[in-house]
Amino acid sequence: MSQADDAFFHHAAAGEKPPLSLRNVHIMYQSRKGAVNAVRGVDLDLRAGESLSLIGESGSGKTTLGLGVVRLLVKTARVTQGEIIYRRDGLEMDVSQLDARRLREFRWRECSMVFQSALNSFNPVLRIWNQMYDTAKAHGWGDRRAVREHVLNLLRFVQLDAERVIDAYPHELSGGMRQRVLIAMSLLLDPQVLILDEPTTALDILTQRTIIELLRRLKDEQRLTMLFISHDLAIAAELADRIATMYAGKIVEIGSADDIFYRPRHPYTLGLIRAVPKVIGEFEDLVSIPGSPPDLVDLPSGCKFHPRCPFATDRCSREEPDLEQVGKDHAAACWHWQSVAEELADRPLHQSLPTLQTAQSGE
Amino acid sequence: MMAHIELQNVSRAFGKESERVLAVDDVSLAIEKGEIRCLVGESGCGKSTTGKMIAGLLPPSGGRILYEGKPIDRLNKEEYRAYRHAVQIIHQDPYASLNPVQTVKQIITTPLLRHRKVNGSQQAYRRALELLEIVDLTPAADFLDKYPHQLSGGQRQRVSVARALTVDPKFIVADEAVSMVDVSIRVSLLNMLMRLKNEFDVTFLFITHDLALAKYFAWEGAISVMYLGRVVEDGPTPRVITDPRHPYTQALLAAVPEADPELTHRKRRIALRSADIPSLLNLPPGCTFHPRCPYFVEGECDVSAPPLEPISEGGRVACPVRKDEHVSLLIPS
Repeated sequence: MSQADDAFFHHAAAGEKPPLSLRNVHIMYQSRKGAVNAVRGVDLDLRAGESLSLIGESGSGKTTLGLGVVRLLVKTARVTQGEIIYRRDGLEMDVSQLDARRLREFRWRECSMVFQSALNSFNPVLRIWNQMYDTAKAHGWGDRRAVREHVLNLLRFVQLDAERVIDAYPHELSGGMRQRVLIAMSLLLDPQVLILDEPTTALDILTQRTIIELLRRLKDEQRLTMLFISHDLAIAAELADRIATMYAGKIVEIGSADDIFYRPRHPYTLGLIRAVPKVIGEFEDLVSIPGSPPDLVDLPSGCKFHPRCPFATDRCSREEPDLEQVGKDHAAACWHWQSVAEELADRPLHQSLPTLQTAQSGE
Repeated sequence: MMAHIELQNVSRAFGKESERVLAVDDVSLAIEKGEIRCLVGESGCGKSTTGKMIAGLLPPSGGRILYEGKPIDRLNKEEYRAYRHAVQIIHQDPYASLNPVQTVKQIITTPLLRHRKVNGSQQAYRRALELLEIVDLTPAADFLDKYPHQLSGGQRQRVSVARALTVDPKFIVADEAVSMVDVSIRVSLLNMLMRLKNEFDVTFLFITHDLALAKYFAWEGAISVMYLGRVVEDGPTPRVITDPRHPYTQALLAAVPEADPELTHRKRRIALRSADIPSLLNLPPGCTFHPRCPYFVEGECDVSAPPLEPISEGGRVACPVRKDEHVSLLIPS
């Protein structure tokens, strides 16, 4: 089912290009308090077959960015600047320029999104089968028997009792089952890119584990290109090849999962890691980040993190740093990333396990 | 020593006959003065119901709860009032637990005046400032005239704590009190609660689904693990976390993803026989974990509910099959 609308695609330059590229994307909300700068100039490449995790706290703009890519923003929000380039088979297009019909094709077939609240993503009066079939039909796939066979296979892939679940209503399924059905549904039209917004947040621990293992299979076996949006660093540690930290609408650090967890260069990333407890091992002291996340209507001057940052100097309150190369395939937006590196050399992260320490010092 | 709060065979059922759900089933536990006790478990395990019963917001349907040695349903009017003041609860959602049309000043001074903790509004004002400082809302005067919607989630939760402190509580039930707060400010909230324990000698019942938070907050206290209404394991936190004995506790600890890629990939995976949690409406016989348990012994686990039995390493385990077996949760590297 990869019959994309060829006439619409522009021929891209040769070479393996990322399926999704964001170029200087800005997204703004209108609110009673004024304009909210939810996303302020994001550049990001989602590479073929990788899983990239966007981490950050509430209000950092990560969900808005995800919704912006599939153009599901609420009416009061709009992309005010920038390009969202989608590519497949050497062709490319700008998602923000798609008309209604092409947008419908882009969603599901090229890029699907799994939302945080699994129950709200279903029509409560439709059986799973009707919901799946409606979606397939809307995308021009009306062969009932073939769709049903495909749906059963997908439900089996997500380890559900397919024959029973396909004719169930959403309320008859548990939270974990619904989340698995949603993931199956997102795969219905064999998209190239999958965006998952907090895919395990509302789930219990043991259920969360089954979803993590399922997503890992999607990543390892299907080589699906995935963008995870999560406030939970542990989900990123489990599933991400690369991680981007967002703060106040900007990506402030991006790198491999190992770089972000063992060699963070932005003080905010470092702060997040030092604030999250681990279950395994002896007691560790945690350090919280002082202050609270910024007011997006009235952002601080300069670097948006400077009022909370232990490394901040005068310069930080005047000039906002851009992402800068701090290592191989690793960038951070901080005037003082070298001081962060020095501090980490003195006081390494993750001290409790000796084997992990060697992993760091080996760098 | 007499326990501060003691539960003796406490049960709580909801609903009528055919739809009867036993949310808490025969729970016995004693919490000593000055202790930090964590109640952990997944949704539906009965941990919040237990917290509400301890705080006097729900009567038990069976068994009894003792406050300083006396059953709370036998307290006289004066004693009952003292108990309700002494035991306060902080709820999960700071967006729902504060009156949206009251200022912080009203939220805090109303109980102060109502319960005659102060004489007159002048004293109430001064005490309100003190309480806001205790919960780190400084400068306190800036917060008095704010409405809840003008505060962040973390600040609201601090106001909830300040409100609980108005009646000089000795025992605080914190029901998922930091779960809705952002990661970066969670730790400072926990540290503030810990300071209350040390400075004001408050006993804590900390209810959470997050084992890492339980470990951090209650490292010097104890953890009770609940599953489908029963306590399946308890003991000093370091023992429960590093040497869990009940297969359910082990499964939980092994399943939690860790914020460290190497560590999380080195954790042992414990395969359960079933991924689905049984319905409270139709609980399995015997040990309720047996349909999922990898160590299930037929004819034993599905016959009678195993009692909590003490183990020499500390605490109690409700699993005669596995209580003496140590299991490492890490795969050796």
